[in-house]
Amino acid sequence: MPVTGEGEASEIASRPQTVAELTDVLRQGGYLADRGLATALFVALSLERPILLEGEVGVGKTEVAKVLAATSGRKLIRLQCYEGIDTNQALYEWDYARQMLQIRALSEHEVTGEGAVDKLFGPKFLLERPLLEAVRAGDRAVLLIDEIDRADDEFEAFLLELLSDFQISIPEIGTIRAEHAPLVVLTSNRTRELHDALKRRCLYHWIGYPPAEREVEIVLVRAPGVPEALTRKVVAAVHRLRELDLAKPPGVAETIDWVRTLDFLGETGLGPEAAEDTLGAVVKERDDLDLVRDHLEEITSGAGYSGG
Amino acid sequence: MAGQASFVVVLTNFERELRAAGLSVGTGDLLAYCSAMAALDPSDLLDLYWAGRVTLVTRRDDLPVYDEVFRRFFLGGGDPVREMLTLRAQVTTGSEAVLEVPATDPGDEPGPEQEATLGLMASDAEALRHKSFAACTPAELAAVRRIMARLRLTPPRRRTRRARAAPAGRTPDLRRTVRESLRMHGEPAELFWRQRRVRLRPLILILDISGSMADYSRHLLQFAYSANRAAARVEVFCFGTRLTRVTRALDHRRPDRALELAAQTVFDWEGGTRIGASLDAFVRDWGRRGLCRGGIVVICSDGLDRGDPAVLATAMERLRRLSHRVVWVNPHKGGNRDFRPSTLGMMVAAPHVDLLLSGHDLNSLEELAALLPRLS
Repeated sequence: MPVTGEGEASEIASRPQTVAELTDVLRQGGYLADRGLATALFVALSLERPILLEGEVGVGKTEVAKVLAATSGRKLIRLQCYEGIDTNQALYEWDYARQMLQIRALSEHEVTGEGAVDKLFGPKFLLERPLLEAVRAGDRAVLLIDEIDRADDEFEAFLLELLSDFQISIPEIGTIRAEHAPLVVLTSNRTRELHDALKRRCLYHWIGYPPAEREVEIVLVRAPGVPEALTRKVVAAVHRLRELDLAKPPGVAETIDWVRTLDFLGETGLGPEAAEDTLGAVVKERDDLDLVRDHLEEITSGAGYSGG
Repeated sequence: MAGQASFVVVLTNFERELRAAGLSVGTGDLLAYCSAMAALDPSDLLDLYWAGRVTLVTRRDDLPVYDEVFRRFFLGGGDPVREMLTLRAQVTTGSEAVLEVPATDPGDEPGPEQEATLGLMASDAEALRHKSFAACTPAELAAVRRIMARLRLTPPRRRTRRARAAPAGRTPDLRRTVRESLRMHGEPAELFWRQRRVRLRPLILILDISGSMADYSRHLLQFAYSANRAAARVEVFCFGTRLTRVTRALDHRRPDRALELAAQTVFDWEGGTRIGASLDAFVRDWGRRGLCRGGIVVICSDGLDRGDPAVLATAMERLRRLSHRVVWVNPHKGGNRDFRPSTLGMMVAAPHVDLLLSGHDLNSLEELAALLPRLS
């Protein structure tokens, strides 16, 4: 359901009223959420609090924010965190080059006085970054702060302040306040323990790997046109892979990739040869590759097809 | 609305149970829980469970505790056999004075005698530094602990991606230059510089507390405590037959209380040793998540391993790749300069270790503290 642009008041009023409604809405957007995740998102929407999604890699933490934005008519504003990110990249920055040119132009035409300086700090020269955009958009946006665990402590402290009030004061312009807070979704891969204060501010939900049945459903929704029999075999194999002690266990995204690859190659089952050929879609580490190759037979056992 | 009020009381009692079980749940969280239940269906058990999990729990490790308390409170489930026994250990800390003033006869000149006493004190302390922990008397051990409490462990530094203004920096700070030049009609009169900030590397201490290390383990724990106080990002783990993280327990201002808490969280004091399995657990549960990325890992163990050496070899290899430097502190090394690892564990681990030190006495620990900042 491709819905873009800012929503209006009527679309916000169509916010799901029960957990079941929200689950349906997400399903229509192509995302299968389990009861826990749907409840967590529903509570976040009702209480207008940010939600922190932690989980393994590739289980759909980022995806859920995208689908939520698309299905509820909100704009998706994405802030990708990395080490060393600061307010200039996250909040706003002045367009210095333009300002200098403007100064030159003003001084050439010998325009002086109050108005000249004010013009220099007008909205034309303000480069809005994701957080400021989100504050301006208010509840017409879903703010996705991706991989917050890659940012450092200073950024977390700054973010905490923002998430509490949702107002930003720019000295030259004034205070910008959001009437209603946007839905904020933070994702983390747990490479680092987040600060307690930030965790307290947010609701917390852990997304684990889905059970086999659900994973089959997810793959069938995300990769339509793929035969169900193949999907079942691949999901069984992936679940066995996750039991092995891999450095990078495959996530749901890898399962979908593997199924798509096999389908593209025209395979209808998962024999050892087919698995060996397409292993790169699901195992991404050298050590893991060696380990998996040793156990290839038992991983694909029961998943092969009769005949050559 | 008596029904609502009694429901809130139920939720409050549940929150109190959670706190008794060790979760840190605040009143704000309880308020959020009540608001969430107001939006959901209070008679639905699943909603009750998930809403509580989302609002009251903030860490993944607390989830099993939450599950258990929920089952006990709302479902009236029986207590499973608890692995954890909560004992309250009373530690009587005697505060002895270091200075021993000998009884002087009245009228005697205290000057020279005092000097002699002080001289003795100094040499006592010196002797204490080189006395192996195993050979210390309890009084000497107490003295050692006091000295150790003042040790400052500083990990080495690394440059980060953040920059700060510095007049002697190497990259120009365009933002500041332009800002300042706005005052001068756009002429960049002065060029400002910035420099990348320097930060301490994380320090990870992994202490062996098994039977063979009995004489040294408590001192190493004290050492870890002072390290925790001194440096910014320190993680402390203990292992015997299995690995336990004691960083949070050591986060206490009073050292005796911190050590007491740490001692309570670990269960296999002076039991057997499985170095390989414990290090493997460390790599799998913590290392892969990036805890030791760019950090210094200090393993304090004697290398007497009862497990499979292959497991130890793989774990050490992985650990080496994940961290910046690996330091092994072996109390049996002693002062022997050309120490050849004699235990199988040491032999297996030695190729993956960047620095091998001894940790048998105070002097060696001070050496470690001195060497640490220079590792890079």
